Amino acid sequence: CEKELDQAPLSDASAANFYRDAADFEQAVNGIYAQLRPYPDRHFNLSEVRSDNMYATTEIGVREHEPINNFVNTLETNSLVISAWNENFNGIMRANTVLDRLNASVVPDDAQRNRFEGEARFLRALYYFDLVRLYGKVPVYDASVSPAEALEVPRSPVAEVYSLIVSDLNTAIEMLPPSHGAVNRGRATSWAAKSLLALVHLTRSAPTYGIEGPGLDVNEYAEALTLLNDVINNGPYAWVEDYSSIFDYNNENNPDIVFDIQFLSGGLGTGGTYPGTMAPNSYFNAVGIPFPAGLETKPLSSDLIETFAPEDERLGVAVQQGFTDEFGNSDPRPFFRKFLDEDDYGLDRFDWGINFPIIRYTDVLMMKAEAILQGAPGTQEEVDEIINMARVRAGLEPVSGVTLDMYLEERRREFAGEGHRWHDLVRTGQVIEEMNEWLPTEDTRNVMPETLDPNYIIYPIPFSQLQVKEGLYEQNPGY
Amino acid sequence: GAALPQEALANPSAVSANVFQWTVSGRVTSAAGDPLPGVTVLLKGTTNGAATDADGAFSLSVPESPGTLVFSYVGFSTVERSFSGPETLNVTLSEDSEALEEVVVVGYGTQRRADVTGAIATVDSRAIEERPIARVDQALVGQMAGVRVQQTSGVPGRGFSIQVRGTGSINASNEPLYVIDGFPLDVATQNSGGGFSTGNPLDNINPNDIESIQVLKDASAAAIYGSRGANGVVIITTKSGRAGKPKITFNTYMGWSETAKKLDVLSGEEWIERATEVINYNWVTSGEGRTAEQTTAERTAINGSFNQNLMLDERWLQPGYPGLTLIDWQDELFRKGFMQNYQVAASGGNEFLNYYVSGDYLDQDGVAIGIGYKRYSARANVEVKASDKLKIGVNINPSYSIASDPGVEGRDNQMHVATSHTPVSEDTVGIDVNTGNNRNYQWGFSRNSPVRVIEQSIGDTEIFRTLATVYGEYSILDDLTFRSTINLDHSDASTKSYRPAAVSGVLGNRQAFGNFSGYRRQTFVNENTLSYNRMFADNHNVSLLAGASYNYGSFNNFQIRSAEGFGSDDITTLNAANNINVGQTYTAESRNTMLSYFGRVQYSFMDRYLLGVTVRRDGSSRFGDDTKWGTFPSASLGWRISEEAFMSGVDFVSDMKLRGSWGISGNNGIGNYSHIALLGFSNYTFGGNLATGQVPNNFPNPDLGWEESETYNIGLDLGLFQNRVFTSFDYYTKTNTNLLLNIPVPTATGFSTALTNIGEVYNRGWEFEIATHNLTGAFRWDTNINLSHNENEVRQLGPNNTPIQGGDFDPPHNILMVGEPMNVIYVVRRNGILTQEDIDSGAALYGNQTAGDVRYFDANNDGVITADDRVMMGDRNPDYTWGITNSFSFKGFDLRVLVQGQQGGQIYSLFGRATDRTSMGWVENTLGVHRDRWRSPEDPGDGSRGKATGRFGFIKNSDWIYSSDYWRVRNITLGYDLGRLMAGNKFVQGARIYASAENWFGGDKYEGGYNPEAVNSGGDDYGAFPLAKSMTFGLNLTF
Repeated sequence: CEKELDQAPLSDASAANFYRDAADFEQAVNGIYAQLRPYPDRHFNLSEVRSDNMYATTEIGVREHEPINNFVNTLETNSLVISAWNENFNGIMRANTVLDRLNASVVPDDAQRNRFEGEARFLRALYYFDLVRLYGKVPVYDASVSPAEALEVPRSPVAEVYSLIVSDLNTAIEMLPPSHGAVNRGRATSWAAKSLLALVHLTRSAPTYGIEGPGLDVNEYAEALTLLNDVINNGPYAWVEDYSSIFDYNNENNPDIVFDIQFLSGGLGTGGTYPGTMAPNSYFNAVGIPFPAGLETKPLSSDLIETFAPEDERLGVAVQQGFTDEFGNSDPRPFFRKFLDEDDYGLDRFDWGINFPIIRYTDVLMMKAEAILQGAPGTQEEVDEIINMARVRAGLEPVSGVTLDMYLEERRREFAGEGHRWHDLVRTGQVIEEMNEWLPTEDTRNVMPETLDPNYIIYPIPFSQLQVKEGLYEQNPGY
Repeated sequence: GAALPQEALANPSAVSANVFQWTVSGRVTSAAGDPLPGVTVLLKGTTNGAATDADGAFSLSVPESPGTLVFSYVGFSTVERSFSGPETLNVTLSEDSEALEEVVVVGYGTQRRADVTGAIATVDSRAIEERPIARVDQALVGQMAGVRVQQTSGVPGRGFSIQVRGTGSINASNEPLYVIDGFPLDVATQNSGGGFSTGNPLDNINPNDIESIQVLKDASAAAIYGSRGANGVVIITTKSGRAGKPKITFNTYMGWSETAKKLDVLSGEEWIERATEVINYNWVTSGEGRTAEQTTAERTAINGSFNQNLMLDERWLQPGYPGLTLIDWQDELFRKGFMQNYQVAASGGNEFLNYYVSGDYLDQDGVAIGIGYKRYSARANVEVKASDKLKIGVNINPSYSIASDPGVEGRDNQMHVATSHTPVSEDTVGIDVNTGNNRNYQWGFSRNSPVRVIEQSIGDTEIFRTLATVYGEYSILDDLTFRSTINLDHSDASTKSYRPAAVSGVLGNRQAFGNFSGYRRQTFVNENTLSYNRMFADNHNVSLLAGASYNYGSFNNFQIRSAEGFGSDDITTLNAANNINVGQTYTAESRNTMLSYFGRVQYSFMDRYLLGVTVRRDGSSRFGDDTKWGTFPSASLGWRISEEAFMSGVDFVSDMKLRGSWGISGNNGIGNYSHIALLGFSNYTFGGNLATGQVPNNFPNPDLGWEESETYNIGLDLGLFQNRVFTSFDYYTKTNTNLLLNIPVPTATGFSTALTNIGEVYNRGWEFEIATHNLTGAFRWDTNINLSHNENEVRQLGPNNTPIQGGDFDPPHNILMVGEPMNVIYVVRRNGILTQEDIDSGAALYGNQTAGDVRYFDANNDGVITADDRVMMGDRNPDYTWGITNSFSFKGFDLRVLVQGQQGGQIYSLFGRATDRTSMGWVENTLGVHRDRWRSPEDPGDGSRGKATGRFGFIKNSDWIYSSDYWRVRNITLGYDLGRLMAGNKFVQGARIYASAENWFGGDKYEGGYNPEAVNSGGDDYGAFPLAKSMTFGLNLTF
């Protein structure tokens, strides 16, 4: 009769009966990837909206993205800032759980075990890299912790966060295979790890701006270049000649994709929201998509539109330049539409099925140009050649003597809407200069500051986290 | 009334042994003069007795010596009259619900009221019988001190929330255990919305079948229910048959109800005025050379395109708004609803069998379109005396209900839409906005017409429930009885939701939506008890109980959801759906078990010194491996001072009892598997294929145990002037420790909370009840008053006593802090309106505030307004709850008036946050308080609301705190006893007609929502449905 008191859950697995064989670990690793799904929306809000690409003020009431656009100092309670923290750390917990439990007795096959460990480390590095770019110092956990232990772990200096990221990526490079079979397309590869590590080196090399942010001013451009050259020379990627086809719903996993977040529609819970987040409801109403998008228009800045030459093919791919609404009125305000296919929507607004690139081959090439422009060994011709590949593909004339400013502007056009802009400005050391130039020209409503406070390069840590234990974390200066 | 000595009457041999010479006869009537049939007349000290006939007459043969007759009758005080020869005694009995001989149902048995040593509250059964009520919980409102019954929703058929002596638990359930006819039901789990979407123990129970309700409030009474007793125990007894010829009753009522409250929102004219102000502001500030005087055509030309955020509907400027119609959406939503109820019951019995059977039908339309509740129920309570030693009985109660609610109540649901919807529409469209071939009004809210949505949608929840108990009772010895019961509570519930394409989405993109979900809940309980009752040496009364119980609960649920619309609007079942939403379709199962052993000793000496001791040991599957078993003891003492010799001279005191108790009970109201490290599905996709992912969902806790609640209670019962005044006072302290607390942990761990047994909440309070018979003659007037006060204090939280903050949306607006009451409202305080001078002199600002925005109090004085400036501003727990019932009767008329209310609490309105946002946009409608907003420095309004053109966003602030004080004339019932007109009618024995008004009068201070008792969003109100006020007319017939 006493045995009756041992009731195991019937509809959920319990950890007590899990993590026993390779099939379990396969599922546990898949779960780490799943936390990538909020990434595109996050970087739309925290990178594109924050940057000079968008002037996302509203006319019909204040929405959560607007204080981000306006550099308001109340962001510590902003839900977008809070979820970025929580989601990344949840992904890290998932990775740590796998790394804690994985050993040769449960997964005896070396190749399989290495792949699991490599994937877990790659993803942990990616989540920590996201955190360090958004918040600067964060607590570092290299294993799962109990509630009591967590109350003793303060925020670590940025350099320590990077140490874990770099060591994880180096391990991942060793353990991950260079490619996966068709059914596993989308898993991290050693090439993805190398490319991400290169981006980490570039980001770390950025100036500090006098804050404890992602830049450490360490000059690792040469390290980055070595990795990038390896990917370019030995990796399986290729230049895709048609720019728009890179984002085509029917051309996922194309040769430009080094690492992306995979989405699948069909009501499976594996779809994305971001194609809708970037568009207004009224546009969906007008084109016949039967569920909401992102409420009102989040307009792009005129500065972004003007950077495109009229013949630049990338403008039409990335930007919807106004539309006629269901009442027959034209709304001229531009918004991002890069990942939107009006004929291929899913079951609801959470169910868009298009993959979202985190690292493209084009980006790898461009990062090489950036490394050289920042002082890594290389020539102007190499830089010009890369930039011109992108320009020619977009239908533009080639240029020569590409400077860092020209490079950054080309990146802006190439990656518009992909969540890079703020990070690009910060990484290349241009953010203060660029924003200070742009803010007064764009802000006709007078809702933004005239100059950028360097403290606002990173975000505040969530208010609720300051409350968990007094003194455990300190808020970032300026908030 | 007295326990009937039926055995004496049924045993003629006891009578024949004596020689009788005197005959004492007479007539027994009620105070009103009505004959009382069935009164027991007993010669004191003997078993010689008789019963009165239909005219109240009796005749009894007695030995030839003076003696005393005892007249007793259920519900009436017992009277003794002496005789000294063959006399005629005409006796008047007065009703006395507080009579000390009254039997009180306690856990696993009954007790004389006089012997009760714990704190037990009783509902006057007339409060249920003579009033049209749809649910049992409704009958409890305002009836008992210390029992706070909250009608959190006015939707008919919804469960009420009941709290006994405050709330002691932070994360686990605060709902009491319900026991119906000895069957402990599954404890209700309130969802985060405050509702009981997975069933409430009182669902489908027909109030007409209820005989009595008792609430065990302190641990000495409730500890016999061990790990489920901490929130009190509600004991419900249904009717049973009594010996005698069959009695058939027919009860019916019908009437109507309407909403007791409408919210004050801007009228169409006022909305236009506000929209004009904002749009003109948008236009003027959108570029150089733009002025409010420019027409829409001019603006379109300047702007290059039309934009309704910058340009007016020019018809707003013309008198009478040609082409537009103004709408009061609440008037369109609310209606008068019809209700009716019919019940037939038959009861009776003989020496082998007694029975009570009933059938009942209730049909109640809600006060808003689309809302309704129907219930069909039947009950059979049958007990067979198989032999002198063996009794076998069965109680069976099948019921079926349909609750219709196509999504009216709560966040973003249709009442919210109706409150917020633009009160202006094209006159060709009217209330058909954004349905069928109509678009929404171009300047208006995009939501579909709430009226049409409700009219055309389906939201039917059907519950088929069977409560069944089979029991056997065997007298092993005269004083020793074994009882075994088998109980099953089986509920099958399903909810069908369907919303046709015509009232969904937008023109050109309308898709129907369907969902089918449901659950099966089963509770199986087997209990076996041995009880022993014996009087030793005349003075020592001992009663012993020992028992064991097995409790098994299972809950299975499912959901199927449509995707991509339906093939046809004519077919509403999911076979017509174009696709199925796989991610939202599931089945799930869960189980729990409990094993228990319990015992009780009751001892009284000379009817004067009373002692009770109970202990229960519970083992539960819900807790960690190391903490499966817990023990829950209690002890209580009573002293009936009025029985002492020294009180014999104090005539005005008819009863006086001092009670004291101590006990520990538990609370296991958490999920079934909270201690286990659960994994959750978190799927991903590779190469276009679904890849199953499993991830940890919580911190496991193998040491998880129950909450412990330790209660001390001291009480005094006092009856004065032959119990004309009966009063009872209790003082208690309740300390809940080892709380099942979700302590916040850094989300950097991957989780935001960990469920831990930690923390302490202390409640203390007092309860006062007084019942008086103010007038007892032909005109009777009785008053019952109950008043209770409770205060609670958090005494310990997580490891560092770090305050815990919570509440929906950021920043948190609830705080748990040591030394403060639970869940204090913690928000930024509004402090007038910002002027330009304030800003120039460096006033603290929230974000980019400008003059005319609200000014906030800079609590930490750091020069800026942030979430750090939140201050504690309100306590959700009322200080006082009270109820007053006055009943009058005169010559066949009876009148009852119940007034109840609460004082000293606050409510936080997330509904206000949605409909009354700071610097809210102009499209949606808003509350009437915005009439007096700031418009300019010269026209600053009343200081409560800032300008309509504010742009700074908003923070949780004091705008949405309201007092939850209210008073309410819950019920007025006026009845007339037609029986007086039918005297002598052989067919109809009794008849009463009545009229009843519920909630017709009252007052509250809650301008930010419909119901000051609402709890439907983590402790706050997010659009709870208003209560109904109703007028009903009823008829009770007895055959």
